[in-house]
Parts: sequence; structure tokens; C-alpha cells
Amino acid sequence: MTSSRNRKKIKDRDTELIEAINSGRQEHFQELVKRYEQKLYNFGLRMCGDARDAEDVVQDTFLNVFKYLKDFRYETKFKNWLYRIAASICIKKRRRSKFAPERELSLEDFFPEEDVAGPNDIPDWAQLPLDQVLNEELAQHLKDAILSLPEKYRIIVVLRDIEGFSTAETAQILDLKRSNVKVRLHRARLYVRDQLKGYFEHGT
Amino acid sequence: MARDQHDHKHCVAMFEKLSEYIDGELDRAACNEIESHIERCAACKICLATLKTTIHLCGSMSSNPVPQSFSQKLRTLFLENLSSRGGPVVYKR
Repeated sequence: MTSSRNRKKIKDRDTELIEAINSGRQEHFQELVKRYEQKLYNFGLRMCGDARDAEDVVQDTFLNVFKYLKDFRYETKFKNWLYRIAASICIKKRRRSKFAPERELSLEDFFPEEDVAGPNDIPDWAQLPLDQVLNEELAQHLKDAILSLPEKYRIIVVLRDIEGFSTAETAQILDLKRSNVKVRLHRARLYVRDQLKGYFEHGT
Repeated sequence: MARDQHDHKHCVAMFEKLSEYIDGELDRAACNEIESHIERCAACKICLATLKTTIHLCGSMSSNPVPQSFSQKLRTLFLENLSSRGGPVVYKR
């Protein structure tokens, strides 16, 4: 059995800063805030859809970091540990909200209908260069599509496709099996794709 | 695609793996199977292309700046926490 003492210490761009804070130079905490406040704010916005809620997510996350940083064991990247706290705060926040309908997304809902004759060509919107596709209106539509996802799917697509975490990291942050992350991610992407399809084809 | 031209169950199995295929999380054999299916199945080919665009668009979303007033409050809050020997100071609206 491997004891936690024998586990390899993970070093990343934050290690030096955290070691400094934990060795008593707490004035460096401001640097940690500066480094991650914008990322956490946008994570909060994408998860909650509200600027005040996003501010609460940032503040509560840093308060928890401030309180528990001394217990950080360098067994994961600091950023992953930080997002684990932020994700947990977002989930608690949404559970308290009355606007949080939870539902399952079924793969069958997205499967192309076989008997319906449709175009066999890839639609134009999937062939254009990205810089010609993404404008302000579409960006808003995309944000709304992500916000309308049930939370357990939204958090996966936000962590994987927007924040750029790997499947393994996302599974670790959310304490899920990798297979669960993959299943939810595929359904979340199919849902968002359908919303984009509606926008491009019908303007809705 | 007409029902007699390909196996529906196989198509569903391929459709289920499209995200893993895009993410490079499948082995070579599974990739070959999907690529061969895509050549014959227009629906899955379209789904693959539109999914790829969806993922790229998500990754291209711009970030909002943190409101300056909040950023300042956050800094003040932690300065207060650093100088406080009691419990954490929490900024309340």
C-alpha cells in the first residue's frame, strides 16, 4: 500500500507560490487571487449565468483556499484542486436555486432519424472558418445554450471544452468515473450542437 | 441513409463514440472502424463535422473581465483576512 507520504509531489506553475504562502509569507495570497480571479469569475458566469453569483463563487472559492491551503498536499495540480472547490460551490449554489431543473439527456434524442430524407451534405456553418462564424450574437446564443443544459452536463462541457481540462482531470475535479465524464460530455455536446443548428438553420 | 444499406445498431454504436473519436481517446482499431463507417453514413459524417465545430466554438468563447469594483473588494477582503487573527472576514452585500 502506498502511503500519501510516498506519493510523488506534483509541481506546476503555482507550486512555488503556494510553498511561499504556506511557509508563512501570506502576503503572496494576493498573487494567487490575481492569477485566478478572472478564470474563476468566468467559470462562475458560465455555470450560474449571473454576475453576482459569479462574484460569490470567486469569493467563496478563495475563502476556502485561504482556509485550507495549508492542507494542500501537492498530489494534484493546484489549479485542479481550486476548480474542485469552485465546482462544489457552484453545485451547492444551484441546488439552493429554484431555477435549476435537473433532467437526463438521452442519446436517442440526438440520434439522426433514419427515415427522414435530409441533406447529405455537411451544413455550411460547419465548414466556414471559425473567425467568420463566431460573432457577438452567436456567442450569446452559445452561452444561453450552455446555460440551458442541466447542471450535471453543463459542468462537464464547461470544464472540458471551455476551461480545457482533460477527461481524467475533469473526473478528478468532480469525483466521477472517466466513463461517466465521457458519456455526459457527448450528450452535452450533442445538445449544444442542436441549439447551434437551430440558430444557423432557423435563427432560433 | 436507407435502412437496408447499413446496420442501425452499428450506426448507434459509432454515433456514441464520436466525441471520444474527436478527443483522440480511442485506439487505432476503433478509429478505423469509425472512419470506415463515416465514409458510408452521411448522418454520422454530418454529426461529426457539426460536433467538431461546436467544440471549436466553445473553446473560442471570449472571457469577461472581472468588474474592477469587485476585484478591489476581493483584495481588501484578503488584506483584512491576513491581518485578522479571528475567523475569516466575509464580504457581504
